[in-house]
Amino acid sequence: MAVNPQQEELRERVLTRSGGGVDAGAPIRQTSLWRDAWYRYRANRAAVIAGGLFLLLVVYVVFAPILSPYDPYGVDFSQAYQPISWSHPLGTDQYGRDLFTRTALGGRISIGIGFAATIAIMGIGILYGSISGFVGGRLDNGMMRFLDALYGLPYLPFAIIVTQLFQTVNFWVMVTALTIASWFTAARVVRGQIISLKENDYVRAARAVGARWYRILARHLLPNTLGVLIVFAFLELPGVILGEAFLSFIGLGINPPQASWGSLAQDGRDVYLAHPTMILIPSVAIAWLILCAFFIADGLRDALDPRTRET
Amino acid sequence: MSREGKEPLLVVDGLTKHFPVRSGFLVEHTVDLVKAVDGVDFAVERGTTLGLVGESGSGKSTTGYCVLQLLRPTAGSVRFDGRELTELKGEELRRMRREMQIVFQDPYSSLNPRMTVGDIVSEPLEVHGSGTRRSRRETVRLLLDVVGFDPSFTNRYPHEFSGGQRQRIGIARALALNPKLIVCDEPVSALDVSIQAQILNLLRDLQRDFGLTYLFIAHDLAVVRAMSDTIAVMNQGRIVEAGPAEQVYTSPQDEYTKALLSAVPVADPRRQRERKAKRRRLRHALAEGF
Amino acid sequence: MALLEVRDLRTYFATRDGDVRAVDGVSFSVERGRTLGIVGESGCGKSVTALSIMGLIPKPPARIVSGSIQFDGKVLTQLREAELENLRGREMAMIFQDPMTSLNPTLTIGTQITETLRRHLGMSARDADRRAVELLEEVRIPRAQERLKDYPHRYSGGMRQRVMIAIALSCNPKLLIADEPTTALDVTVQAGVLDLLEELREEHQMAMIVITHDMGVVAEAADDVVVMYAGQIVEQASSLGLFDRPEHPYTEALLGALPSLEGEGGREARLASIPGRPPDLLDPQAACRFAPRCPFAGLNDYCSVEAPELRELRPGHWVRSAHPASERAPV
Repeated sequence: MAVNPQQEELRERVLTRSGGGVDAGAPIRQTSLWRDAWYRYRANRAAVIAGGLFLLLVVYVVFAPILSPYDPYGVDFSQAYQPISWSHPLGTDQYGRDLFTRTALGGRISIGIGFAATIAIMGIGILYGSISGFVGGRLDNGMMRFLDALYGLPYLPFAIIVTQLFQTVNFWVMVTALTIASWFTAARVVRGQIISLKENDYVRAARAVGARWYRILARHLLPNTLGVLIVFAFLELPGVILGEAFLSFIGLGINPPQASWGSLAQDGRDVYLAHPTMILIPSVAIAWLILCAFFIADGLRDALDPRTRET
Repeated sequence: MSREGKEPLLVVDGLTKHFPVRSGFLVEHTVDLVKAVDGVDFAVERGTTLGLVGESGSGKSTTGYCVLQLLRPTAGSVRFDGRELTELKGEELRRMRREMQIVFQDPYSSLNPRMTVGDIVSEPLEVHGSGTRRSRRETVRLLLDVVGFDPSFTNRYPHEFSGGQRQRIGIARALALNPKLIVCDEPVSALDVSIQAQILNLLRDLQRDFGLTYLFIAHDLAVVRAMSDTIAVMNQGRIVEAGPAEQVYTSPQDEYTKALLSAVPVADPRRQRERKAKRRRLRHALAEGF
Repeated sequence: MALLEVRDLRTYFATRDGDVRAVDGVSFSVERGRTLGIVGESGCGKSVTALSIMGLIPKPPARIVSGSIQFDGKVLTQLREAELENLRGREMAMIFQDPMTSLNPTLTIGTQITETLRRHLGMSARDADRRAVELLEEVRIPRAQERLKDYPHRYSGGMRQRVMIAIALSCNPKLLIADEPTTALDVTVQAGVLDLLEELREEHQMAMIVITHDMGVVAEAADDVVVMYAGQIVEQASSLGLFDRPEHPYTEALLGALPSLEGEGGREARLASIPGRPPDLLDPQAACRFAPRCPFAGLNDYCSVEAPELRELRPGHWVRSAHPASERAPV
């Protein structure tokens, strides 16, 4: 990249100019944006506790199956429906399989689907929303009307239809189905952010300098939507998890022997009077996850809200 | 920088910008037109400053954006350095952008909060592929030094600095491509008086050292007077009076200009009392608009 | 006795890193029928002073650490919140800077005016409506009767500010505090609002405090002036006295930094700029707070060691400086 003559001229002028300006001085505050955000998050006690409980859940889900001495798929009818004890902290199911281990495994699937779907939703939302918001005009209009039409489709039947398009329902099929059924709001949110950020002077400055659209989008717009998008992602997560749980609960979800919390709950559905723990345990786990996600989202909103970040 | 015999750097003729007001259910149609800029003519000689002054809604900022083609004019011509800007598109326009830059009013929204100071100032250089990374870093340091900003802070973020400091960063960014024209859109309105003086002095020094031409847009008449060689007063999208600065200030011709001048409070209580009486008389002469 | 007496007011804000001393020992008084101008740049504490008087500072994190505020014989700092609320709006009123956000966008103008009337004066709905029309006419809003039913968004900035003034005056307060009343307005509208305020002050025989950063507004509106810097008063005098012979280096610099509309100047005049920035109010040094930026501070060492007291240089003219203009040796 050659240095153009203008740059040379600028350099010469700078070096030969007379006198110096008044010194602007040192920065007036020296905190990083992230540290400020962390402090604000910490101030929300519920969010901090929720964060801790969430991490606890993740640790359980990751490590319990590794450390467990039991075979989660082995069948041993002699051990069926054991009550809660030291050797079986959550009891056993109808096949004698340790529920502590199976719940953890189910958690891997549920949480995994939740996060994967959420990430996919955000990805599609960012793509659709930023094109719509950035280009504006008729394209934006058209894209939003299309979105409006999609909103009309009922969520769960839609997801069910998508799953039926595949032979088996495995992890990725679930992710796909849930993503397709719920990306609309994410696109809306991203579009809204892009539209409001577009008005900022620093975007005009970039255009004045001759920056092309991809640079403006990638460097100026999307990074500044980060805060809002992170909060939104944590609010999408419960919806996705509940969606998967419900589908599995009615038998249209993950196929055995893989289990998710929803399918574990389904296992317990017929015997809930005699053995209530079988349905209670996965339900509590789902509720735990969802509540944590909501409180974390609340704390993140305090931490990352652009309004409180000003000055 | 001899001025005789050369065409003015910027010649604006019949500049018009209308904003359609749309309404409609499925298909939108235009119901009304906001005439933000309604046929504006002026010229700016090289190395001088034209002060464009007016109240909010007068169309002065819109005029500035139209000159830079950040908004495409509805009609009219903008001749910059002999070239007709309204006809340029795409790559040609991009190249032309190197010659004309802008400094914004709000030091808080004119810098991307997620970019470091160094990145902000070097962005113009990156966009036009100027030099190597090392030479750009060097240029950034020089630019920051020129505007009185300590170059050792290039890794900091805008939120760590005050309004006046941020304006300096914005000015350094505007200088990066060595432009001929800088549109200053209310550059000191959001700053305290003492900082305002620093920035105005800086802008004047830069004009002298770099041979810059300014289109200085502001609503503060005293500030405009301190910066401008010639003045144009705008009201509701039109220029109501224009001329050499001192002439317009000492013997305004247009009623609106007179009203504007008499409304500005002056830091002298006795003088202010006289002006208040004069203003009252003028108010009866001018139709009440507020 | 003065209508309002503020003695050694200190308002601090508790933050993560310590107390920010927004107002640090401010004393002044306001007489009936006179206007006091409080002038200073952003962060000097002028708004916090006004809010402290009105009792509107956010109780955490802010608090009045010490000092007293006496209004019409009552000691405000000792009143309970309920009693303060009775005074607010009725005897003391305040108008704020941004008329765009001071009015509730979901209530009609009429409702917002009558709300105050009914709360403080116990008026009936019909009486309150009638009074509201009178008030709008007083602030020169044309076709007042019809405009009562309008929502704020149908009013321009200048008109909204007039509505704010009408609301503030509705209960005939003895004191009106105007916090940057003209900053958000266009120049021509600004002049109208200032004129209006002065006329109303005469008619109602109110005391007024005008807070601003604009020396021109001070010259226009104020009888007496207080100049604030870094939470303290650095100069206090009558308006004529201050502009005729400013004493404090900061006041001089402030006046010198103003580009002038008339007289010599224009393109050629160099604006006096004050180098540096106001000090951090978290831990202001014990010495003179203006010293780091003062062109005269080097003369002797007092300034960086000992904080100057506010002293009466001439009758009615107080300065907090070791180097006021009249004591400097002629060059």
